[in-house]
Amino acid sequence: MFIILADDDEDDRQFFKDAFNEIKIKTMVHVVNDGAALMNYLTKENSQLPHLLFLDLNMPLKNGMECLKEIKSIERLKDISIAIYSTSASEEDIEETFVKGANVYIKKPDDFITLKKILSKVISVNLQYHTSGLDRDNFLLSI
Amino acid sequence: MEIKEVFTTSFFLKSIFVAALFGLIFISGVTYKHTVDLEGSSNLVVRSYKVQIGLEQIISLLKDAEAGRRGFILTRDSSFLFPFFNAKEKIFASFSELKELTFENLKQQVYFDTLFNLVYARFTVMARSLEENNLYPLNASQFNNSMVLAQDEMTLIRWQIDRMIRLESSYLEEQQHRYEQELNFTPFINLLLLFFTLVVFIFSYYKINKDLENQKKVNEELIISNESIKHAEEIGDFSTWQWDLENSKFTFSENQYRLLGCELNAFEPTIENFLEFVHPNDRSYMINVGDQVIAKKKPSTIFFRVLLKENRLRYFKLIGKRLTDIQGKKIIIGITMDITEQKLSSSILEERNRQLELSNKELASFNHIASHDLQEPLRKIQTFISRITEKEMANMSPAGKEYFSKIQTSAKRMRVLIDDLLAFSRMNKIEKVFEDTDLNVLLDNARQELAQAIEEHKALISSDPLPVLSVIPFQIQQLFTNLISNSLKYSKPGVVPIIKIQCEKAAFNLNSNTHPDTHHRYYKISFIDNGLGFDQKYAENIFLLFYRLHQDSEYPGTGIGLSICKKIVENHYGFISASSKVNEGATFNILLPE
Repeated sequence: MFIILADDDEDDRQFFKDAFNEIKIKTMVHVVNDGAALMNYLTKENSQLPHLLFLDLNMPLKNGMECLKEIKSIERLKDISIAIYSTSASEEDIEETFVKGANVYIKKPDDFITLKKILSKVISVNLQYHTSGLDRDNFLLSI
Repeated sequence: MEIKEVFTTSFFLKSIFVAALFGLIFISGVTYKHTVDLEGSSNLVVRSYKVQIGLEQIISLLKDAEAGRRGFILTRDSSFLFPFFNAKEKIFASFSELKELTFENLKQQVYFDTLFNLVYARFTVMARSLEENNLYPLNASQFNNSMVLAQDEMTLIRWQIDRMIRLESSYLEEQQHRYEQELNFTPFINLLLLFFTLVVFIFSYYKINKDLENQKKVNEELIISNESIKHAEEIGDFSTWQWDLENSKFTFSENQYRLLGCELNAFEPTIENFLEFVHPNDRSYMINVGDQVIAKKKPSTIFFRVLLKENRLRYFKLIGKRLTDIQGKKIIIGITMDITEQKLSSSILEERNRQLELSNKELASFNHIASHDLQEPLRKIQTFISRITEKEMANMSPAGKEYFSKIQTSAKRMRVLIDDLLAFSRMNKIEKVFEDTDLNVLLDNARQELAQAIEEHKALISSDPLPVLSVIPFQIQQLFTNLISNSLKYSKPGVVPIIKIQCEKAAFNLNSNTHPDTHHRYYKISFIDNGLGFDQKYAENIFLLFYRLHQDSEYPGTGIGLSICKKIVENHYGFISASSKVNEGATFNILLPE
């Protein structure tokens, strides 16, 4: 399974990679440092598209919201499953990303055990199916 | 009303003068007739005497003729015939004269005819006797016969003439009597009319005098009112104007010149001259609105700028309305106000409002960003703590473990503080959408949210039926949740917490310094518990941000929960207060507008 994480925070990227190393599911994690780098990678011809894209909202150069909008407007990219991965869980952000077509919203947890649980949950459900009914209540993922 | 009165007065005066004029004409007419009557009366007397004298003359002429005839018969002297023919001629001349004089009296005319016949017959007889008696000697018997005949005929004529004289006298008397009657009556009518005319004149004099006085009074009032309008215009910085649409005449009050910074009558009051003062950018707009005012009957308001001498900028407000005046002319009346001061003070106010809004926004965003950005490092600290707890704890010394656990506790506490602060700031930030909501549903939701804690405390919660109100649903639910969890948290150890929720229509007996608006109706919702309570002197402080009554170790908390409650109630234009005694439970009262 090919996963991309776009996050500007080095620690968060490390937690993310460590968590995937510890959960025993075969995954390949690619990380990018900001929104611009993400879009550069995705829009490159012949780039390998991820099965699941984790998108931080608060990033320099190009924030997560802009990336989300751009991805959904590009025919080749619009079917990528997107998980918003943010420190904030404000109503506005949740509402806006839901409307813009993200599949799931994950609030970064405060402990590593929860992080592992939540990541294994998100890759084990079929996200296309998860939000097929545009189910607003399930959008914010909780354990 | 006054205008109408003036109109009636002038009509009244006109009628009076017409009546007086007719009265005078009538008097002149009557007087003229009186004079004519007098003349007629004297004429009648003269005529009547003429007739009587004429008749007497006829008799005496007849006698002359008879005497002449007799003389001639006796003497055959033809000189006696002269008086005979002379008398005949005179008699017939006076006949036609007399007949003319008595043309009015038909009976007398008939008598005249009879007399004429008699006299004519007499002369015929006399003339024949003269011819017969030409033969000489005189026939005595014939002569005697003629004497007797003459005597008889003369008697008849004399009788006829007497009759006529009597008739003339009685006719005269009758006519005189008629004239007398009329002449007696005339002075009385004249006097009456004169008197009437006099009364009319006196009355008109009184009326005119009174009108003049009224007019004087009205004039004085007008002067006073004009003066006071002038002063009012000066004090209020406004002017009044009129625009006659039919001849495009524009008039405005004196203050208009002052408002435009000019000497009185400094320019001709025309639209063009006025527009000269209007700011060039506002002119076309003004003309445009002016056309609208002409077209419709509703008053229109225009705000525009004017440029006075030395390019001083003033702000004007103009209100105009089209109407039809008493004479049926279409005019536009209006006022112009100098609103520069208000404009300036309101723009200062606007500026202040804007700054206030800005600083509020900044504060809110600071609040939000601060608590939001603080989360990030804290989250990492907590994540690292969890990783150490998971993997590295075993390698630590007992002291290290203890310190580490304190770090963990502090991090947790910071987490709670930040979360609460975020929740508090969110109460300001989130768009306030009011919906008609059943508060019973919101209370049920709050109880479900707290189901675990309620279960743990084995608390008994009862509630009156709550109303349906227009509220921000998630905020009221938050309010209920905070109040219930507050009661659970400060319940007495070992005592089953009982929370009663009561609801009634407004009664303003809240013991707080808030003042509910008595024009609105409120619902009062009370949360009454049997918990620890607090000293009443803290009843207001407990709603302050970060204010706490207990040690952290006893009852952990941030002192934000009740501040959020207050914020929510204020967002709903309501009031919240608390009352309590130590160890006797607490009551939280909420007033929400109906």
